Amino acid sequence: MRNTIALSAVIAVAAALVAGPASAHHSRAMFDSSKQLTLIGTVKEFQWTNPHCWIQVLVPDPDHPDAAPVEWGVEMGAPVELMRKGWKPGSLNPGDKITIVLNPLRDGQHGGLVVAVTGPDGKVIGRSAEPATK
Amino acid sequence: MIANLIARNSLRPAACAIVIALLAGSLCPAGAQTSSKERLKAFAKLPDWTGIWELDAFVGQANGQQFSAEGQRKLKAYAAAGRPSFTPEYQAKYEAIRKKVADAVAADPAHPPVTHDPLCDAPPFPATASPGMFEWLITPEETVFVSTVGAVRHIYTDGRSHPPKDELWPTLMGDSVGHWEGDTLVVDTVSMKPRIYMGELSGFYMPMSDKLHHTERIRMVNHDEMQIESTTEDPVALTKPIHVTITYARVTDFNRMVEETDCEENERDPAVNGRFSTVTH
Repeated sequence: MRNTIALSAVIAVAAALVAGPASAHHSRAMFDSSKQLTLIGTVKEFQWTNPHCWIQVLVPDPDHPDAAPVEWGVEMGAPVELMRKGWKPGSLNPGDKITIVLNPLRDGQHGGLVVAVTGPDGKVIGRSAEPATK
Repeated sequence: MIANLIARNSLRPAACAIVIALLAGSLCPAGAQTSSKERLKAFAKLPDWTGIWELDAFVGQANGQQFSAEGQRKLKAYAAAGRPSFTPEYQAKYEAIRKKVADAVAADPAHPPVTHDPLCDAPPFPATASPGMFEWLITPEETVFVSTVGAVRHIYTDGRSHPPKDELWPTLMGDSVGHWEGDTLVVDTVSMKPRIYMGELSGFYMPMSDKLHHTERIRMVNHDEMQIESTTEDPVALTKPIHVTITYARVTDFNRMVEETDCEENERDPAVNGRFSTVTH
């Protein structure tokens, strides 16, 4: 991943998520589900929209504090699905300092599929994947 | 004018009865002649499927994207149970399509080919395993399936048969008629688009013949679970019917239906040259 290696804030973690055929708006093959990156940055915009919500986040490079931060686009689920998991349209606001764990895009662009988001208060927003109850 | 009156009051038995008395004719729509009391009795015999439901594999999903481990296991089990056994002619077709999709995926793994867009395209029949949630609206005359991803099915239970062949053409949900066996809705569907969805690689459709025929037995197993036992037959394309029983879970963390398929609102995964791309800014 171009650029992401340079970000010391990025941590790669092996993951093994199976892309289900019956969910999501498109194939998830564009995301590398074997990797998880952690971004620490500032919310530029939270797009509560169909078919998917997006977080635009500005991520500074700790090694180059004077450089302009890099903007990442992080894809999420549809609004109604997010709301079911504890998110709300106002869960994030511009300027919020957040930490995002994501599966990165394979093509090297600054984007990915959200895994978990920690808000300004240090708490994870919404509920994470949990074993089915049935 | 009388015809307009009848049309506007077609669901009002009392109004219809007056017209009947005046005309002693047969202008009232079938079923509208039942008295309110009789119709209420018919309602009372129907099961209560009130609530919102989803495929059980979706339970425990996070952020609208990540499946739980149990959800992944269930999806794999359903895929295995629903594995079609094609006749030689259709096996050859399947292998050719699969190879084409596999080659396209291998050529550019970062940008999957757009063979089907599960959310922005209309959900394929029977739509119950599509993303999103769904409701059943049950009346004596028909049962309606409505989902948050834009699928609507009408299952007529007023005793009618399928229309004659020269009045049928392939549609997304086909033509469904049903009847109640106790609390089980038995559904027969014909005339859906001749294809089945294959959830492998990036997902694609496999064509079937015009003999494609689908039956379902739909029931509530307990307060929190529904089951659909489905049988897909096609003597031209399949060596044996596909039998699969799928469980649906009552949605307990949300109580309203909100559509999620307005893909034009903020489409950031557009198809470019037949492949999914991502707009990161």
